[in-house]
Amino acid sequence: MSKGARLVKPASYTALVVLLFLVPLFVKGAYFLHILIMAGIAIILTSSLRTIATTGQISLAHAGFMAIGAYTSALLVMKLNFSYWVALPLGGIAAALLALLVGYPFVRVKRVYFAMLTLFMGAIIRLTIMEWRGLTGGTSGLLGIPPPNSIVIPGFLNIAFDSKVPYYYLILALVLISLLFLHRIDSSCVGRTLLAIQQGDFVAESVGINVTRFKVFALCVGCFFAGITGSFYAHFIKVLTPDSFGVLQAIYLVVYMVVGGRRRFYGAILGAFILTLLPEFFRILREYQPFVFIGILLVIIFLLPDGLVSLPEAVKSRIKKVPEGQS
Amino acid sequence: MSLATLAQSILNGLAAGWIYVLVAVGLTLVFGIMNIVQFAHGEIYMLGAYCSYFLIKVYGFSFWEALPLAALLVGLLGIVLERFFFRPFRGRFEPSIIVAVGLMLLLQTTAVVGFGTDTKSMGGIIPGVLTVSGITLSWDRLLAIVVGIILVAALFLLIQKTKVGQAMVAVSQDPDAAALHGIDVNRISTIAMVIGCALAAIAGALMGSIFSTSPFMGTSAITKGIAVIILGGLGSITGAVAGGLILGLIDGLIPPLLSPTMAGIFGFGVIIIVLLFRSRGLFGHE
Repeated sequence: MSKGARLVKPASYTALVVLLFLVPLFVKGAYFLHILIMAGIAIILTSSLRTIATTGQISLAHAGFMAIGAYTSALLVMKLNFSYWVALPLGGIAAALLALLVGYPFVRVKRVYFAMLTLFMGAIIRLTIMEWRGLTGGTSGLLGIPPPNSIVIPGFLNIAFDSKVPYYYLILALVLISLLFLHRIDSSCVGRTLLAIQQGDFVAESVGINVTRFKVFALCVGCFFAGITGSFYAHFIKVLTPDSFGVLQAIYLVVYMVVGGRRRFYGAILGAFILTLLPEFFRILREYQPFVFIGILLVIIFLLPDGLVSLPEAVKSRIKKVPEGQS
Repeated sequence: MSLATLAQSILNGLAAGWIYVLVAVGLTLVFGIMNIVQFAHGEIYMLGAYCSYFLIKVYGFSFWEALPLAALLVGLLGIVLERFFFRPFRGRFEPSIIVAVGLMLLLQTTAVVGFGTDTKSMGGIIPGVLTVSGITLSWDRLLAIVVGIILVAALFLLIQKTKVGQAMVAVSQDPDAAALHGIDVNRISTIAMVIGCALAAIAGALMGSIFSTSPFMGTSAITKGIAVIILGGLGSITGAVAGGLILGLIDGLIPPLLSPTMAGIFGFGVIIIVLLFRSRGLFGHE
């Protein structure tokens, strides 16, 4: 590879990041920024779900772990007067600790049973929030969650969270940090190990990999980022209800991941971005709008069962195919 | 809890349990034969409820005519679903989830647009109660139990005594080996899907007549259905019956003692514990 070619990738990434930082200068409508922020939330959730899925486990508890982060952070700030900037990582740590606790028994259960086990785990988290009214407000919700504390450096900087713009920059920062971290894992020897586990537990074990420990590790890392995202969500939306973290939300994340394509790191990002953003352009259809999302979903999965990331290969194999009678 | 409340709770639990069983046997059949978790099965159940509602309220059929008609209509829909949605994805776990979820959203949104979000009541099947030595038992619950038992018994007979039933067992054990023995796997998949859809439609009609219909009623049904087949063991019909009755009784007995939410926590908790010690469920095979 020439020196120039080696610079293309970092240069284009830098350009993309710079562009993303400039978005609020061009986009004036609060509504569009709101959608972008929600897309950012979906991107972290889906990418962290992919890290868990790299070990061959589909978790349907991701919305539940997001709820753990959301409620932990909101309650720490509201009841114990924590600063948001302390509560944010604590939300992630709470979710990761729960994942560590249930991880060891859970990861022994394989394939579809693991998916279902996590489905019930997610349901239990949601039901517990509903039942524990004294702490969480139950179904009527946790109201009046304060915005993040202003970032103040005297005489230099004062960022107050009073519009969508600071939230946009915060989620952008969180997305970049999470993706860098998750990508680092993915391309490290840990990532290779996780991939080996996906391809075969027994083979991986036979070459001396502690399969259980790596599976739990992946679960904890994934859930940590779900918790962080939950914390951001709580202080952004400012109201938490258990219904925001239902089974359907967890299933949506799996949909984003599979539609984007699980084989590549950017598949989860692509899936989350497209499926959260595209339907918004069809709000004019009102109650018929969900059909757009469903349509995109079905068309992609019927044409590209391995997700959007398999598009280049699918196109290549189409072109290369020699027309009949010419070989 | 008094004896009368206890009896009524057990009856409610058994009625709910048999309705869960009717939903779950379809799910477990489709999973066993096509290796697909049919997330849209709850929406099939919802369509069954609406079908019988319209047959009764708009077209003037009696409940006893509407029940088989709804099963037939929804069963026919099953043919379409199997052929065009599920057959291309048979045995491919991840894409099949997406298709099932897409279908679930499609049917639910269609119901919202077509039928509205309000709940509709079709009136009780048999109103009134049966009083036995001071204990009141409502007729509609008793009826749901009887219908459930008859249909599941018929399904057992079909599977054990007929050639089609044995072919279904063969396909669920090994589709390739079954095909090598001259079994048309596609035809068996269609039959499994039709039976599953018809039973779910009847379950929906029964539930709809005991309570009411809503476009979102499928969501709780699918959660319960999945819980039942995981508890009982994927692909096992005996397991679906056992799982359905266990969860039904939990849902009947816990709410009067604690709260409906606690019943949910308790039910899912039981399944998680069972899975941790016996990961194939109560009656599942490895």
